[in-house]
Amino acid sequence: MLDVGQRLPKPNRREFLTRSGMGLGALGLGGLLGGTAKGSQVHQTHFAGRAKRVIHFFLNGGPSHVDTFDPKPALLKYAGRPLPETLTTERKTGAAFPSPFTFKKCGQSGIEVSELFARTAEHIDDIAVIRSMVAQVPNHEPSLMLMNCGDSVLPRPSVGAWVLYGMGAENENLPGFIAMCPGGYPVKDAENWQSGFLPGSYQGTFIDPQFEQIDRLIENIHGPHATATTQRRQLDLLQSLNADHHAARHDDRLDARIQSFELAFRMQIEAAEAFDVAREPQYIRQLYGDGVHARQTLIARRLLERGVRYVQLWHGAGQPWDAHAGIEANHRGLAKQIDQPIAALLTDLKQRGMLEDTLVIWGGEFGRTPSVELNGNGLSALGRDHNPYGFSVWMAGGGVRGGTIHGATDDFGFKAIDRVTSVHDLHATILHLLGFDHERLTYRYAGRDFRLTDVSGRAIREILA
Amino acid sequence: MLSSCAECHGSKKQESGLRLDSREAIVKGGDRGPAIVPGKPGKSLIIEAVRRSGDLEMPPNEKLRANQIAILEHWIEIGAPWPGNDGPSVDKRAESQRDHWAFQPVRQPAVPAVKDTAWAKSPIDAFVLARLEAQKLKPSPPADRRALIRRVTYDLTGLPPTPADVDSFATDSDPAAYTKLVDKLLASPQYGEHWARHWLDVARYADTKGYVYGREERFFVHSSAYRDWVVRAMNDDLPYDQFLVLQLAADQAKPDDQAALAAMGYLTLGRRFLGVTHDIIDDRIDVVGRGMLGLTIGCARCHDHKFDPIPTEDYYSLYGVFQNCTERLTQIAEPAVRDKKYEAFEVELTKRKQALANAMAKAREEVAAAVRQKTGDYLFAQSQIEKYPEETVSQILSKDDVNPIFVRRWQSYLLKQAKSDDPIFIGWRRFASLSADDFADRSRRVASELAKVNGAAVNRLVRDALQSPPASLKEVADKYGRLFADVERQWRELLAKKADSKALPDADAEALRQVLYGPQSPCEVPNEPIVSNEFYFDITNTESLWRLQGEVDRWLIQSPLAPAHAVALVDRAVIEEPRVFRRGNPAAKGNEVPRRFLKVISGDARKPFEHGSGRLELARAIASPENPLTARVWVNRVWMHHFAAGLVRTPSDFGMRSEPPTHPELLDWLASTFVRNHWSTKSLHRMIVLSATYQQQSDGPMDEAVRQQALTTDPENRLLWRMNARRLSFEEWRDTLLAVSSELDGAMGGRAAELFPAGGENRRRTLYGLVDRQFLTTAMRTFDFANPDLHAPQRSETTVPQQALFAMNHPFVAHRAQALIARMNKAPTTDAAARVRQLYLWVYQRPPTKAQEQAALAFLTAPQEKEAPVRPETLAWQYGFGALSEAEGRVDFHPLPHFNGKAWQGGPQWPDAALGWVQLTAEGGHAGNDLPHAAVRRWTAPRAGKISIKSTAAHQAPAGDGIRCWIVARRHGVLASATLLNRQQPFDVAALEVEKGDTVDFVVDFNANLNNDQFVWPIEISQPAESSGGGGAIVSWSSSRDFAGEAPQLLGAWEQYAQVLLLGNELMFVD
Repeated sequence: MLDVGQRLPKPNRREFLTRSGMGLGALGLGGLLGGTAKGSQVHQTHFAGRAKRVIHFFLNGGPSHVDTFDPKPALLKYAGRPLPETLTTERKTGAAFPSPFTFKKCGQSGIEVSELFARTAEHIDDIAVIRSMVAQVPNHEPSLMLMNCGDSVLPRPSVGAWVLYGMGAENENLPGFIAMCPGGYPVKDAENWQSGFLPGSYQGTFIDPQFEQIDRLIENIHGPHATATTQRRQLDLLQSLNADHHAARHDDRLDARIQSFELAFRMQIEAAEAFDVAREPQYIRQLYGDGVHARQTLIARRLLERGVRYVQLWHGAGQPWDAHAGIEANHRGLAKQIDQPIAALLTDLKQRGMLEDTLVIWGGEFGRTPSVELNGNGLSALGRDHNPYGFSVWMAGGGVRGGTIHGATDDFGFKAIDRVTSVHDLHATILHLLGFDHERLTYRYAGRDFRLTDVSGRAIREILA
Repeated sequence: MLSSCAECHGSKKQESGLRLDSREAIVKGGDRGPAIVPGKPGKSLIIEAVRRSGDLEMPPNEKLRANQIAILEHWIEIGAPWPGNDGPSVDKRAESQRDHWAFQPVRQPAVPAVKDTAWAKSPIDAFVLARLEAQKLKPSPPADRRALIRRVTYDLTGLPPTPADVDSFATDSDPAAYTKLVDKLLASPQYGEHWARHWLDVARYADTKGYVYGREERFFVHSSAYRDWVVRAMNDDLPYDQFLVLQLAADQAKPDDQAALAAMGYLTLGRRFLGVTHDIIDDRIDVVGRGMLGLTIGCARCHDHKFDPIPTEDYYSLYGVFQNCTERLTQIAEPAVRDKKYEAFEVELTKRKQALANAMAKAREEVAAAVRQKTGDYLFAQSQIEKYPEETVSQILSKDDVNPIFVRRWQSYLLKQAKSDDPIFIGWRRFASLSADDFADRSRRVASELAKVNGAAVNRLVRDALQSPPASLKEVADKYGRLFADVERQWRELLAKKADSKALPDADAEALRQVLYGPQSPCEVPNEPIVSNEFYFDITNTESLWRLQGEVDRWLIQSPLAPAHAVALVDRAVIEEPRVFRRGNPAAKGNEVPRRFLKVISGDARKPFEHGSGRLELARAIASPENPLTARVWVNRVWMHHFAAGLVRTPSDFGMRSEPPTHPELLDWLASTFVRNHWSTKSLHRMIVLSATYQQQSDGPMDEAVRQQALTTDPENRLLWRMNARRLSFEEWRDTLLAVSSELDGAMGGRAAELFPAGGENRRRTLYGLVDRQFLTTAMRTFDFANPDLHAPQRSETTVPQQALFAMNHPFVAHRAQALIARMNKAPTTDAAARVRQLYLWVYQRPPTKAQEQAALAFLTAPQEKEAPVRPETLAWQYGFGALSEAEGRVDFHPLPHFNGKAWQGGPQWPDAALGWVQLTAEGGHAGNDLPHAAVRRWTAPRAGKISIKSTAAHQAPAGDGIRCWIVARRHGVLASATLLNRQQPFDVAALEVEKGDTVDFVVDFNANLNNDQFVWPIEISQPAESSGGGGAIVSWSSSRDFAGEAPQLLGAWEQYAQVLLLGNELMFVD
């Protein structure tokens, strides 16, 4: 069979890959059969990636692109009148609704950004804005699944789980994939950071950063029943018992479990330290500002610094950005909470030399309509409905070419028309920056080799540095 | 090309005579001549078609991407090389599929002859030994009796043997001792509990539905009934074929047996996918395909299976079976006693069910009436059908909207009518066939033709309505709309006059009325539960119906008296034939396919299913002794759980891409013997565990050289030259901790409960723990519990520090250590060495070695630390309730008695029967039910000095009358107070002198009414160190950071020691 998309001629690719062991992913997992991972795993990228870690600001609910990173002056012309075309979304929408926010050209690149993200915009020359993103349906749940796990409906591993599967953890004393969300879970709960058919240890660890006590941040991190000194004595005794037991047996798993206790012991100290932002100097804390978003962003930086692979920062429980009504107040308030922390993070990563190998992603599950939403009585409440036909996501650092705009929506921002970028394309790009060919990062499950990008996707070369 | 073209130009279909699946066929081309000219992309028709530069535009729906076209051009340019010569050709592929081992009938192979006849106790051993001998390998010596009893007890019951069991087995000289032991274990009820859990992994069992909208109850009503049925089936050794049949079609296989309906949870306990039918059915096909047949049928959802002989038509044949089923909630058990309490339960249940039934009837009628009023719109929608999805999952519909699901119903209704060229819609069909461009021109001719059609072939009223040529299709639709509206009005009038009317007097009008009211009417909402008809309703009705369904569900879930209920599938009254969804897209309907079993198993001569949905026929085809997969797949699973690896190492994929069995004859011998033994799983276990193969020791031969040779020849132990050691599963480990501390609650069955409840203990077997798919507990995820979203062929086995953290720090483990020592303390002996030996026996079922005993004594006699592990800041805070005497500036403080892990409150239930709603959390809390139960957070000064307080109290609800807050100091009375309603306010005290032991109380009461009285009030207190002499003194307290539960109980030395034993590898691994 001919397999379009592959370099030609290349006979019988599947067989070749399988024979050479690459069918199971050259990513090690040598003992991987029927979806189990036993024993140690060798993690290795396909090529040298530019990014080593990822931080993803997830503006759950769907931030409006036409009010943030995709200015549409044409909406003013149509203000109060119907647009030439109104696409079907979850609810009915009416006339054109110009952005209540002002846009300004920023940086050397002169990319226009709205006042909502004025401080982030100071970094625009490090940012590539993809203005032509598309999702599939105008509803939160499938779009969250698509953006996080690459499939709207079926239970599939999340991007972070794939990355951890591919790259492994850099710091065994901390979870490799952490999802923080102040106040509780976002819509779709833990499904957003699930491991799907990958081993459960690749699942994201959920943390509610509104808590300050370490044992409310990470389960079982604190031993209420013994002091550290006592625990050390217990572990010493345990290891001597285990050594007796191991002496008469040949089984590597026994070693692995012995090691895991030592790791856990160290993790108790390191994790508590990693989450304690009070250890940051005053000027750094001031850089990030006050409030739970500053706090979680600063924690994130400390985690990234300590080798956590993938951090997702959700805006809040439920879907805060879902502005069906009163979008001006909603977006202004929410943006104010994160603009300074995002800008601070970019500054901070840069000054530490970490921006070049840390990929920063910003976006939601979809955008919002340029037309105003109408309620059941046909009245407007100055909000916007969900829009999967076109929206913006931006990336910075980690091998991304800053000061770039990729693709475009139509004159009104309703749908992407130029260099339309699917979520699979976005995922392929993320994996590429980390050093993976998204078509080869596969996992054998239920009779086939699954990948994050299903059967399509293309890394966006235009935004690579 | 495969993805874009093969569907229409492949082996199945050759549109325009063109095939694109071999080079020869491509060069030969189709009706329009050669598709390519090798070396000349510019002259190749296919390039013209994909570039859309000529009149041919392919693929018809979506243009190929530029880079795909470039590749295609490049390929033609370099001469169109084809990998066919060195890859399997299509015919070869078919041949290898036909010859694939798993699709061959199960044989009954002869037991091979072996040299070491003394070792081979059973046919299993002969099969294993024959292969070992062929490789010049020897089996390992038998395991010692302690290892053997531990192994077989875990394998059959998931629990450790008791010390007494071990002792009596180790010393039993009866040659049948082992057989007796096996029979005893197989007869124990714990056997069924353990093996049910293995099956629940197959069945992707969970107690919750996964993500659902807020309107829907997220807990299943029937999960525990299914789980308990599986336990019973295992314990009763229900023949495996019946076990399968009941899970797919108990409603038809045993129509008189209500209890058996529970079995169908296998199908109905999957994720709900927000109600999207296609995905629910896909999940069912997958759990049947991989779970029962070891086939990845799901791969054929979008295209023919890439490796296995499963055409996409076969997927939709099975799809059709499930598409023709709906769900039914049925009570399947009677209450133990019908007393007053039960009657009260039943009265309420009936009330809730009735409310649901009434609302459903009303909503169905309301929606049907709306559709009848809009027939014109639904007809016109047919001309823009692409605008309407199959289901309305992505839109919120109001009552006036044209509902896509009805548009689709009309579509299939009109299609059926078209087949018989019915006299009503004949006019619609003729006008609809005109193109919009010259509609007006040709409309006249159609109208006059219609007028001439033979009388009976056109409904008179339709003919009259369409007499004058319409100007557009919209006008045609509107005319029909008015016609139906008129008939509807006549019918209403008639009913008003004569309520029991059966038909309109005019035959033509009555024929039209049948479209609106007849049994096949596209205006009706199917009479089904909300779970399968929700998309027919507008948002208001959907939400209220789900709410009422939730009322019924919750009553059943929460009432301790509720008898078991099942959710079964039942066949629909009207059976629809399935159609292939091209590329898995339900909007792209392809050919109709019959409902029938898989070709790969039933062959070309297979017959369509005949009865109802065909579900029972499907079940019987699966559970047939002739089916080459079913028995093989199950015996392989059983083998896998005994040997930690299957004979086939892909237990849920026996297709072309699976690894062939390590012992193919053994697999067949087991499968055929299993079927001959009436599908008895217990007899299968017996054969396996009584074999010498199973009884080998797990560490291999004693002689290191022999071991090394075996390791070199067969490093993965595929030939079974030794037994495989294994790690305990999550369930086994948790159950073991409870068992060795003698605390395990052996009660069977019933509703699931949290495994690690905050502020309480669950001592039942882990099988009965709550499996919440959406919030699977960290403990379960950490310990490789099967992902309940998908069929799980085999569990992962990871070793991560979080597992160790759980073992070291989770109270569950510490409590087991305490229980062991408490049990010990009841025994008379105080001799330390004797106590250590006793602990060893309980935990490891063996005495310690001398060295281990010494190590224990050294540990126990070492000096104990006195330092408290709590941060001293936490000790300054207390959590209570009481009355504030404002005048006296005094608070009458009583500590809150219960801590649930997150909050201090009156008791485990909140609100508490005695103390009501009063509660304190790290961040805030809830005021009490009256003034004497104000919430009081108390800070006590650990030393004298000057303090300052910064805090902000917030009430965050617009409802109710708000709360009142005070800061009261013992020495100074009320320092600050305010009433808050939906707002926040800072409460700061700049400076306050305190003596050691002085209290400051932060008091919240409910103002005047108990309504929305929760609050948030973080408090920071600081006391500069210099004011008290400095040193290591605490300088700041934070109510949220310092929030703590009950003062932790430090383990004593003996308890610490017991905990170490519980964490040992010796407990975690089974030799």
